[in-house]
Amino acid sequence: MLEEYARFTDSGTLRELELIARKLRGVKVLHVNSTKVGGGVAEILHRLVPLMNELGIECHWEVIRGDENFFRVTKKIHNLLHMPDKVSLSYEDILTYMRYTYENLSRVDTDPYDIVFIHDPQPLGLIVKKRPGQRWVWRCHIDVSSPDEETWRFVETFVNGYDAAIFHIPEFVKDGVRVPTFIIPPSIDPLHDKNRELERDFVVSTLERLGIDPGKPIVLQVSRFDRLKDPFGVIEAYRIVKRRMDCQLVLAGSFASDDPEGEEVYREVLKAKGEDPDIHVLNLPPDSHLEINALQRAAAVVVQKSIREGFGLVVSEGMWKGKPVVGSNIGGIRRQIIHGITGYLVNSTEGTAFRVKQLLADGDLRRRLGENARERVRHSFLIIRHLKDYLIVLLTLLEGREKPVDLLHAP
Amino acid sequence: MSEFRFRSELWTAQYTGVKANTLGSFLKALKELDDDTIYYHLYRNMFEYHFFPTDYWNSFSYWFAENGFPVLAEKFSAIDLIGCVCLADIREEMVRILEREGYSFDKLCKPFYFIRTVRKVVDLGITARNLSEFREGLRRVGIHSLFYHLITSRLVHCSPMNDFSRWLAEIGEEKKAEEINSIDLFSTSLYRVKEEILKILES
Repeated sequence: MLEEYARFTDSGTLRELELIARKLRGVKVLHVNSTKVGGGVAEILHRLVPLMNELGIECHWEVIRGDENFFRVTKKIHNLLHMPDKVSLSYEDILTYMRYTYENLSRVDTDPYDIVFIHDPQPLGLIVKKRPGQRWVWRCHIDVSSPDEETWRFVETFVNGYDAAIFHIPEFVKDGVRVPTFIIPPSIDPLHDKNRELERDFVVSTLERLGIDPGKPIVLQVSRFDRLKDPFGVIEAYRIVKRRMDCQLVLAGSFASDDPEGEEVYREVLKAKGEDPDIHVLNLPPDSHLEINALQRAAAVVVQKSIREGFGLVVSEGMWKGKPVVGSNIGGIRRQIIHGITGYLVNSTEGTAFRVKQLLADGDLRRRLGENARERVRHSFLIIRHLKDYLIVLLTLLEGREKPVDLLHAP
Repeated sequence: MSEFRFRSELWTAQYTGVKANTLGSFLKALKELDDDTIYYHLYRNMFEYHFFPTDYWNSFSYWFAENGFPVLAEKFSAIDLIGCVCLADIREEMVRILEREGYSFDKLCKPFYFIRTVRKVVDLGITARNLSEFREGLRRVGIHSLFYHLITSRLVHCSPMNDFSRWLAEIGEEKKAEEINSIDLFSTSLYRVKEEILKILES
């Protein structure tokens, strides 16, 4: 599998990874998260775990269990770590979290491993199982820089029990994190259906199937129906562009059946679209990877006008397809787009419209920025770079490991 | 005759926990943080963007520009990072620039997050005993290896010459050594640098 990535990397990279991995032969690694399907974490682990095994590192992946009640609480924790809300974590919520954590302690066998990666807050409490000599790493995929303070205080006790943490960007790190913190941005997989090369015929037929005119320039935003992705701002920007330039806007996303707000936002977006036949609001099933891929390849300009964003890997997905991306000047989007070189960073609806117009008007500019964008992703946001980062973290943590204390035979 | 061993370097980033939101706190951090942090912002940053014509060559300059210090941004970008032999000299030079002018050290800025590099060097198992073997070896290695031999290793050893040039001089190829040592690594991509070195070796 590793060799399939050779065409996306610099000639020496795979060899270097193999050499680094040799130093980790015999090391056992476990990843723990809360789901095998859906979401960016599962997507990355599906590829990262077999790649690590191929490099000779024994790597396993376990998923914690819980019922609806547990996941309601962990979703609440997730949201409150992201930003404060009217209601903080309740005593009952904490009890629920601890009860299921306790149950998972006996379900997830962490003892045989040298390094345990815990992804996100759901399995965070498993740290109490850490045995001497092991290294535990909390891989945080969310922005916890300005959380609900009470929720953070609850989580902080666990976090600082780890040997290290990993965040996407330093801006996401809360001041109270006192363990060594690595900064590792997420990545996309060029071999995934979302990103692999597609035949032009497939792209065109997908557009036709979705009722989109393949002959008219497409401005695209891919995101779930969420106010924080500002679909209304995108429509407003499109209307400014449309006064001078003929184009069509595609807002492609999905909402889960159990997300009442998503459905509400979707309806509001449909209302905002009005009778404009050139605005396409597509509510696609969550596994519509090939369709999203086709839309990104067909787009003239990709937009990501989020108000707040985890990392916004969808930006890299667009860039990987050689598209200039006009994105909000925030968080992870700032990290991906180099202003004026791979796309544009914008701070307003008007700014979005201005840059979209500029790009629609100039095919050479689109091509040049798009080529740079693809190169930027190839160098910095593909899964091979992610794998490299993990190997360095493994080596660093194991080098600093003191000998395990043998409690059974201690004098 | 001595043997040249091609090595490479892989790295990741670690947050120091230090952030600056004024020029004053930036200067303090600049004086106190370790060399691996200075290295990250001045050199590793270059590697991330080496194939693009970016406005500045280091993250310090971007921060200055974003916070209304365009002169500092230019001055920091113009520091001769290849000419400087070791990081202590560069650090001194940066501190001098900051202290020389009458900047407002209390003005509130967007935070700057100091990151340090965590590096791991690997021996690629490729060696050269003469010019032709060296050329072949260079063809086989990637840009991480180039970065290590041309930049990191030179800084680690506080040497005015990069590894390639030092070895070439040792085997009597002083002219080639000098030509390779004078390549401006900051004006082009490392892919082009590799081509340029191969051309020099073939001439």
